[in-house]
Amino acid sequence: MLRYILKRLITTLPLLLGMSLILFALMKMTPGNYFDSLKLNPQISPETIDRYIKLYQLDKPLLVQYFSWLTNILHLEFGYSFFYNIPVANVIGGRIWNTFILSFVSLILTWGVAIPLGICAAIYRNKFADRLIQFLSYVALSSPSFFIAMLLLYFVSQSGFLPLGGMHSANYEEFNWIGRFFDVLRHVAIPAIALSIASIGALQRIMRGNMLEVLGQQYILTARAKGLPEQRVIYVHALRNAINPLITLLGYEFSGLLSGAALLEIICSWPGLGALMLTAVQSKDIYLVMATSLMGSVLLIMGNLLADILLVRLDPRIRYE
Amino acid sequence: MAYFFSNYHCFLRSVFIVFFFLVSAVARADVPRYGGSLILSSTSDPKSFNDITAQETSTHTVTGNIFEGLTRLNAITLKVEPALAQSWEVSEDGRAWTFHLRPKVVWNDGLPFSADDVVFTFNDLIYNEDIVSSARDIFKIGDEIFKVEKVDDLTVRFTLPVKFAPFLQSMSQSILPKHKLAKAVAEKKFNFTWGIDTPPAEIVGTGPFKLESYRPGERFVLVRNPLYWKKSANGDALPYLDRIIYLIVQNQDTAMLKFLDGEVDLISLRGFEYPMIKPLEAKKNFTVYDSGPDFGSSFFVFNQNTSRNPKTQKPFVDPVKSKWFLDINFRRAIAHAIDKTKMIEILMNGLGYPQNSDMSESAGFFYNPNVEIYEYDLSKAKRILSDAGYRDRDGDGVIEDSSGHPIEFNLFTNSGNVERVQIASIIRHDLQSLGMKVNFLSLEFNTLVTKLNATFDWDAIVLGLTGGIEPHFGKNVWHSTGGLHLWYPQQKTPATAWEKRVDEIFDQGVQELDENKRKTLYDEFQVIISRQLPLIYTVLNSNLYAVRNKFGNLHPTSFGGAFHNIEEIYIK
Repeated sequence: MLRYILKRLITTLPLLLGMSLILFALMKMTPGNYFDSLKLNPQISPETIDRYIKLYQLDKPLLVQYFSWLTNILHLEFGYSFFYNIPVANVIGGRIWNTFILSFVSLILTWGVAIPLGICAAIYRNKFADRLIQFLSYVALSSPSFFIAMLLLYFVSQSGFLPLGGMHSANYEEFNWIGRFFDVLRHVAIPAIALSIASIGALQRIMRGNMLEVLGQQYILTARAKGLPEQRVIYVHALRNAINPLITLLGYEFSGLLSGAALLEIICSWPGLGALMLTAVQSKDIYLVMATSLMGSVLLIMGNLLADILLVRLDPRIRYE
Repeated sequence: MAYFFSNYHCFLRSVFIVFFFLVSAVARADVPRYGGSLILSSTSDPKSFNDITAQETSTHTVTGNIFEGLTRLNAITLKVEPALAQSWEVSEDGRAWTFHLRPKVVWNDGLPFSADDVVFTFNDLIYNEDIVSSARDIFKIGDEIFKVEKVDDLTVRFTLPVKFAPFLQSMSQSILPKHKLAKAVAEKKFNFTWGIDTPPAEIVGTGPFKLESYRPGERFVLVRNPLYWKKSANGDALPYLDRIIYLIVQNQDTAMLKFLDGEVDLISLRGFEYPMIKPLEAKKNFTVYDSGPDFGSSFFVFNQNTSRNPKTQKPFVDPVKSKWFLDINFRRAIAHAIDKTKMIEILMNGLGYPQNSDMSESAGFFYNPNVEIYEYDLSKAKRILSDAGYRDRDGDGVIEDSSGHPIEFNLFTNSGNVERVQIASIIRHDLQSLGMKVNFLSLEFNTLVTKLNATFDWDAIVLGLTGGIEPHFGKNVWHSTGGLHLWYPQQKTPATAWEKRVDEIFDQGVQELDENKRKTLYDEFQVIISRQLPLIYTVLNSNLYAVRNKFGNLHPTSFGGAFHNIEEIYIK
């Protein structure tokens, strides 16, 4: 097992290298550079723009730029942001954590709600509860998350029930750690709910399908026939087999942890990576884009690895050698 | 018993205090009071706290309250008034300016401000070869820089290579503290100093507020600088407000909800929001102010570049099209086909202004209303075109020029700007009814800039530029050598007689210190532009603000926004 993990980790390196090369090439292939936007300012001379380009070495050949960036990465320096004039790591530092919190809460919410719903729908197949769950799922699946967020925000602005966007209250610093925890929780509620609703609809349907398939198997019939209590049949024998395919899905969700919520972050003023990424791509702040995208890639690879390891632990039929 | 008494005493005292406050509140309703917070929303984070290296204006929203220059521009009168310098005089030849600094001014960390800081800001920061700053472009005439020297601790002399009319206005450049930054400059790290990762206490200025905290993506808070030098007319130490809190809200709709919810004190409105927001004024306790047209410009421009690509020896613009674009009658006909009323109605809900001159009406002194105005009149446009030889010769609905080429050209704008895209499609529609074939395409901003600056392969573009109250700062656009002389940039010698005259006006205007003589010059320039139509102007937005009804000394202007006199604003 350890050898397998090591092997996977080593193959990750050329993968990341390739990704960074493609990213860099894509950013460079689109016309212009970051400093083009300064060219339409009547008060900035072309000489000044040339000086900026020299300062950030954009006048060097592309390969030189790429390799100097790569060697910096080995020293754990991710380059400078053109927009902010400071190291990329300082720009994204706290924001990664914020995005992670939002995505993590939403992940817990999605899985915590969708799995029981799916089981419930499968057990009461074609009964009223199942029909209701399926109907609500269709509604959830077909409403875009930003629209749900706007609706929730409007509702909150009318009722004053939750804060309107942001992540901390103005007096956050004065709270003790419990107060701080609940303060962030109150703020995260709207974006997390909006982010989860559609995924709950989707995941619930997958869970229901898996569960129905397993419930139709011979061994479930056997289990029932030998007189096991229904609870035990469903929660021990059926559930463990039905949930396996979802573990792989969980691995993919890890990659989304840092990138899935850009639009929602903007609408709910959540101080995450989303809006930062968006403006960075639009204004071609290359190193900022590279750093955040690579972070997403690392998470995707790690998530897959994690899912594979989990599968081994949960399913005795799977072995890696 | 003693316990009871002391409590009773306390009770009496608080009743008294409450009563006292009630009375004082009634009696002093219009007298400025100290305290309270102004809460604003900002669509983006500050990019830096470094006023010298910052490349864009969102930085200035923060730094404008923390730093000050020797002079400042009064946003109401649009005149230069003293700030860190309390007086100044200019030599006979108009080139040596001596500034007498305000005594007893201190930086917000308590250290005294002196002439050394001014000299440092110019000689060690702006004119430093290692530091990249667009400020340098303002303080350079040709290739020559200003000589800045300290006379004594409170006197600084600037010696200019030639006379420079906008000099006093340009002296609003923020002065930065030598004691905080000298080390970074010596270590050649200034380009990356005072970024958003700097601890707030490090950002030291002389302005009315100082940075208290910054949470990326959420808020930044400015707190009253108790050491600020300015006093109000009746002797109060300014500023009145305790804090300015900027909430970072990227989405305008969320910002609107926050404003209606009472969480934010100001919101700038877009024209189409006006009918929805205005009726709520009384219920939600705010007032909508219209402070007049926006600064800047919005226009339609034809490519008049007649030079050839040095590599391929082909002309940048197809000579057939070039002939139309260079024809003043052709441009004049187009000017009559710009339906400004319709643009204002559709795009801005009637809350916009037609633009006729390069200077915005809000620019005040240098704005010339007496320029050529082209009313929307399609039949007149058609007549001009057919008189100049453009008419439909083969009955296919498309007009041809005198040599039989059908009039067909490309129209570009940048895709990020919805309003420009709409303006372009309105123009296209009208040009089509004149019988022209217009292929409209919205391009990514960088692509458009490359076309304007380097490849010159475009026919017509709908675009806008930033503007201000000082005409000279548009020199890069109007002087035929300018890089932003959009229709034919970087000419060796002026291509036309009128461009030669505009060059003369800008060369003369910058050296003319008599304001009225300057105005005559720039008035002439505006008339020339309106007759020759290198840029065909469209419409400008109104500056609309909704402000909560709780502030005193509020005088919103188009130039300075709602809170330009932030140190005098107080909460009623």
